[in-house]
Amino acid sequence: MKTKNNPLYYILFIAIFAILLPAGYLSGLLSVNTISVWGRYFCFAIAALGIDLIWGYTGILSMCQAFFFCLGSYGIAMHLLLKKTVAAGAVLPDFMAWNKIDTLPLFWQPFHSFGWSLALCLLIPALFAFVIGFVLFRSRIKGVYMAIITQALTLAMWLIFLRNETNLGGTNGLTDFNTLLGYSLSSSSVKLALYMISFAVLCAAYFFCYRITNSKFGKVLQAIRDSESRISYAAYKVVDYKLAVFVVAALLAAVGGMLYLPQTGIITPGRMDVKASVEMVMWVALGGRGNLKGAVLGALLVNFLYSICTSLFPDSWLFILGFLFVITVLYFDKGFMGLLESIKQRFSPTRFKTPQTTH
Amino acid sequence: MRNAFLKQLPILLLGATALFSSCNNSAGKAGSSDSATAKETVKIGVLHSLSGTMAISEVSLRDAVQMAVDEINAKGGVLGKQIEPVIVDPASDWDLFAEKAKELLIDKKVSAVFGCWTSVSRKSVLPVFEQNNGLLFYPVQYEGEECSNSVIYTGATPNQQLIPAAEYLMSEKGGGYKKFYLLGTDYVFPRTANKILKAYLLSKGIPKENIIEEYTPFHHQDYQTIISKVKRFAADGKACILSTINGDSNVPFYKEFANQGLSSATCPIMAFSVAEDELRSMDTEFLVGHLAAWNYFQSNDLPENKKFVADFKAFCAKKGLPGGDKRVTDDPICWAYTGVYLWAKAAEKAGSFDVSKVRNALYGLDYPSPDGLVKMDPRNHHLAKPVVIGEIKPDGQFDIIWKSEGLVDPQPWSPLTSPDKDCDWVNHNGTYAKK
Amino acid sequence: MLMCCLLLLPLKVAAQDSASIYTAQLLQPPNDSVRTQAIGRLAALRIPATFPLLIAINDKKLYLLDHKAVTVDSKPTGEGTYRLYSLYPDNILLTNSSGQPLLLPLSALQTVDIPRADRLQLAGIAPLLNLFSNDAQKRILAYTQLKNTGDSATLSILQAALAKESNADARRTGKDVLYAARLYSATSTAAAKAYIDSIGDNWSDNAPVLLRNYAKAGFLNQETAHYAAAQAISLEKRYDSLQRIQNFFSGLSLGSILILIALGLSIVYGLAGIINMAHGEFMMIGAYTTYCTQVFFTHTLGIPQTDLFFLAALPLSFMIAGAMGWILERLVIRHLYAKPLESLLATWGVSLILIQTARLLFGDLTAVKTPQLLSGGWQVSPHLTLPYNRIFIIVLTLLMVVFTYLMLYRSRLGLQIRAVTQNRQMSACLGIETRRVASITFFIGSGLAGLAGCAITLIGNVVPDMGQTYIVDSFLVVVTGGVGKLAGTIFSGLGIGFFTKISESFFQAVYGKVFILVFIMLFMQYKPKGLFPDKGRVAED
Repeated sequence: MKTKNNPLYYILFIAIFAILLPAGYLSGLLSVNTISVWGRYFCFAIAALGIDLIWGYTGILSMCQAFFFCLGSYGIAMHLLLKKTVAAGAVLPDFMAWNKIDTLPLFWQPFHSFGWSLALCLLIPALFAFVIGFVLFRSRIKGVYMAIITQALTLAMWLIFLRNETNLGGTNGLTDFNTLLGYSLSSSSVKLALYMISFAVLCAAYFFCYRITNSKFGKVLQAIRDSESRISYAAYKVVDYKLAVFVVAALLAAVGGMLYLPQTGIITPGRMDVKASVEMVMWVALGGRGNLKGAVLGALLVNFLYSICTSLFPDSWLFILGFLFVITVLYFDKGFMGLLESIKQRFSPTRFKTPQTTH
Repeated sequence: MRNAFLKQLPILLLGATALFSSCNNSAGKAGSSDSATAKETVKIGVLHSLSGTMAISEVSLRDAVQMAVDEINAKGGVLGKQIEPVIVDPASDWDLFAEKAKELLIDKKVSAVFGCWTSVSRKSVLPVFEQNNGLLFYPVQYEGEECSNSVIYTGATPNQQLIPAAEYLMSEKGGGYKKFYLLGTDYVFPRTANKILKAYLLSKGIPKENIIEEYTPFHHQDYQTIISKVKRFAADGKACILSTINGDSNVPFYKEFANQGLSSATCPIMAFSVAEDELRSMDTEFLVGHLAAWNYFQSNDLPENKKFVADFKAFCAKKGLPGGDKRVTDDPICWAYTGVYLWAKAAEKAGSFDVSKVRNALYGLDYPSPDGLVKMDPRNHHLAKPVVIGEIKPDGQFDIIWKSEGLVDPQPWSPLTSPDKDCDWVNHNGTYAKK
Repeated sequence: MLMCCLLLLPLKVAAQDSASIYTAQLLQPPNDSVRTQAIGRLAALRIPATFPLLIAINDKKLYLLDHKAVTVDSKPTGEGTYRLYSLYPDNILLTNSSGQPLLLPLSALQTVDIPRADRLQLAGIAPLLNLFSNDAQKRILAYTQLKNTGDSATLSILQAALAKESNADARRTGKDVLYAARLYSATSTAAAKAYIDSIGDNWSDNAPVLLRNYAKAGFLNQETAHYAAAQAISLEKRYDSLQRIQNFFSGLSLGSILILIALGLSIVYGLAGIINMAHGEFMMIGAYTTYCTQVFFTHTLGIPQTDLFFLAALPLSFMIAGAMGWILERLVIRHLYAKPLESLLATWGVSLILIQTARLLFGDLTAVKTPQLLSGGWQVSPHLTLPYNRIFIIVLTLLMVVFTYLMLYRSRLGLQIRAVTQNRQMSACLGIETRRVASITFFIGSGLAGLAGCAITLIGNVVPDMGQTYIVDSFLVVVTGGVGKLAGTIFSGLGIGFFTKISESFFQAVYGKVFILVFIMLFMQYKPKGLFPDKGRVAED
């Protein structure tokens, strides 16, 4: 699908989130909680961009993005926890001491350094994505099989992370952090800074994805989505392309996870259970897949609704979200973005037909 | 095209502003209502999952808190103010617990929060409460090893539930059991509970090979293999199971246990996570004769309790909640209910809703709960209360077969596993090293 | 010995008299302390004739019927009534005037409440008492707990108990204890060996422990100790091989549950290309139908103790879940044919709605009472019990597989379904009403899920989100088997079932599950389209 490059969306988006919201907070209209809640939504939106790349543009439904997201979060969490432990004069994080472990497990060691932590947060998900992708794409698993296998994989990882023997905190996950690079996480200005960083990273990620989708590489991805066999007859190495985009999507998820952690203050395996991994795909579906703006919008809107509804309608929010999913899929199969476009067309005097894409 | 779109810009901006005002309406509303009605109401937060996996247990606690609030309000409220509960649904989503806690404390400015069931949800909100000077009343038995200034633990510490149960089973009266199968769901409470139990059993001279520890995942449904292991373990008698199996795994577990020919006579199960509310609609035929250890049973015959049980049934029937007057009370329900009263009494005593004043007023405070007179520890935030062991009856109630003499003092740090630590907020700063 | 008995005789008669006095005191005590004393005395006397009475006290099953002490069976008969036994001086089944057992509900009896403090006086002799319990399980336990079998009085009580033992398991356990007692008092190697052999032949659950203990004690000489140890090892080896059968059965049972769930999923997916995430919720609907049927039978019809409800629930759960599936197809799925990934999202939304509806309607934890007929197990051999409920599920699965096979391959409808599965447009051209076929398929698929839900109430509980527990597993079965393939579903269901159980006996349950997932991933390398892939042109989309 050709994305119409209308600057208005961007102006609006930046105006609201980079100016209106921080201004609202600084003038005292909005609480710092609202700021960090939206900061968290941005992290989801970053991961959603990755999902849109792999699903919307390449047609591979990967249900293990939640796992990559968690890998990023866990990496940063391990670093923060070690910093806190060292600052408190202890050798081991609390939960390990309770589990009667005497020495810090080897894989925790590199997380003492912030640089190494950042590197590993990106390297490990990339490595996982490469191995999983290599195994799955090589054997030409696609479509529904791909979705179910990756879901099963996430389930397996979830089970492993739940174990206490993994030394990652079990069900309780990792929580209770003090500082990030010496800044106190509980201070309002740090929260605002994290919000702004998340926003900047989201913008950067968006333009990165935008460049990808408009490059030749992106065109090949869309060709794979529309007809994998034809593009492979044209001597494109489909596996390599898929693998590359899978790794990129995993990296985006991991980056989202890394920014998510300091703003939430906890990471547990619950972030990658079946529910969480389906929900991540749902954001993109609701926003409009195959459309980067849609992915961002979907992630922001669904999470916003989730937060609002669980507070305002604690007994019936599941109905609201459930009906929303069903109705979106039934009537607006291009998601909110599709809806916006069609409204726009209805009101615009110069109606013209957009070329329909074939799936 | 662009012109048309530019025309819509004001509309879109308006829409966006509306969106944010709705997002922030909670905060806005809180502000306005504070100034208008501050004289009449005081807000408390209720943070129990109403959907998702934990809803099974937590919905009843929401009901108990609501009932206590209604009762206090009917009697004229606290310090002349009506209590206004702010109920949110953290949906068994641990990240959402932290988010909702922030919302309750920062946006809604509640005076106290009643909530959480699982350890992970408590751990998730703990930093939020500590950073924002909140007060959480946590009503469920837990694994200890924690001593936060922001949490009032009305549930049991390990020594108020686990140790008396093991002691009872080893005693002549309890059956003099010599072999213990520690079976639990794989998360932090069973893990820590079994660690303490194991240390205790070893200290009592039970040989290592007579203690087996095993864990199953959440929602495990298929207990065939484990029950055959138990059967073999219990073949020569004198064996019992200490079960920390959680939630919906219990039914398949007990059913399989009975179907493979085991019974409470051959190998009793002492459960630490099965209470009346879970038994309400279970097929109790398989469970009769098995044991459970808690601090409260619905069957205790104190007049306070008789009234509490009748009131709770009437409350559920009146509000049209599922179950209606067939609802039962149990240990966490009792402590969730008592928690609200403890907070109200402390606020009255302090003459203020200020968190630190309420907290100070809570030390050593006693309250005639449905479980008899209970007393807050004078030095930390736990509750001293009796320990009871009950035997499951066919109607899903418990026959109380053992009761501690008087109140059992809480020990958040078990002397068995952390002999060097104690929790004291009066003379020390929380957890300190004992000499 | 004889002298001793003769001397004891007058004493015994006197004791008998005092027993009657204490019994009377106990039943109609002038005050609490008299009753406490009476129970204490009776416990001290240790007269077997009073044991049934003391057991009734210990088990809290002492009742009065016309001022006579009676007790009841541990389980009620079908209609909530109990068989009654007199207690003292004789212990017999009470009959009515026509010679049939007298059946009364508990409400017709007057309960004698003995406080726990009094009952505790019996704790010391509980094993002795329980030798005469009506409950075979308790007798088995009592035999294993019996101490001081070297004491001649205890031994004679043991023999007396064994003489009237009716349960095979209990007799075996009792005999082993008796043999063990004799083994310890054996004076020659040959006699000891004979007893060791007897224990081995008899082979109760307790036998290896008895032999091990003897071997450890090294009572007579090294040779008998070694002999006993060897015998214990061979018994355990035999036990292990029986365990393997048990494991095999467990795998079969797990596999058949997976098949039962995946059957409907597989048909629906194959036909319509729909990933039905709400499939688990149809299972939940089936389970709640069963629950409602039970409530209807017990409360509305007022027949509490009956297995009828389950019989009624089987077709009902199929029909209701099927009807819900049909409605879902009409409202939602119809618009999503051939859009598998969209269907995944829409049905996920539907499942959220269904779960919350169930939560609001039924509250949370509920469970269905297992029918009497299906509780307990079939004792194949002394050490191998196969639970009836699992056997029932296996049989039900078998029936459903046959039903599905006949439906798909031996009926006109099946022909149409297979035609639509292969090529929707072509079938429509040939005059098949594809929409009707699709609705019917959805009805049957959801109905099968409902039936699976009904069956699962036998082993698990009924909660709103029970479907989510099984959904990923059942998808794995479908994917591993090859989509829309009956044989594939059966093979992969059984395969995953067995494999899980085998790995569970080596690892803990969690790692078993992880292992199976990794295995499936590797398997898909080798067969990316499942066990039974489509062949020919249909395979390429």
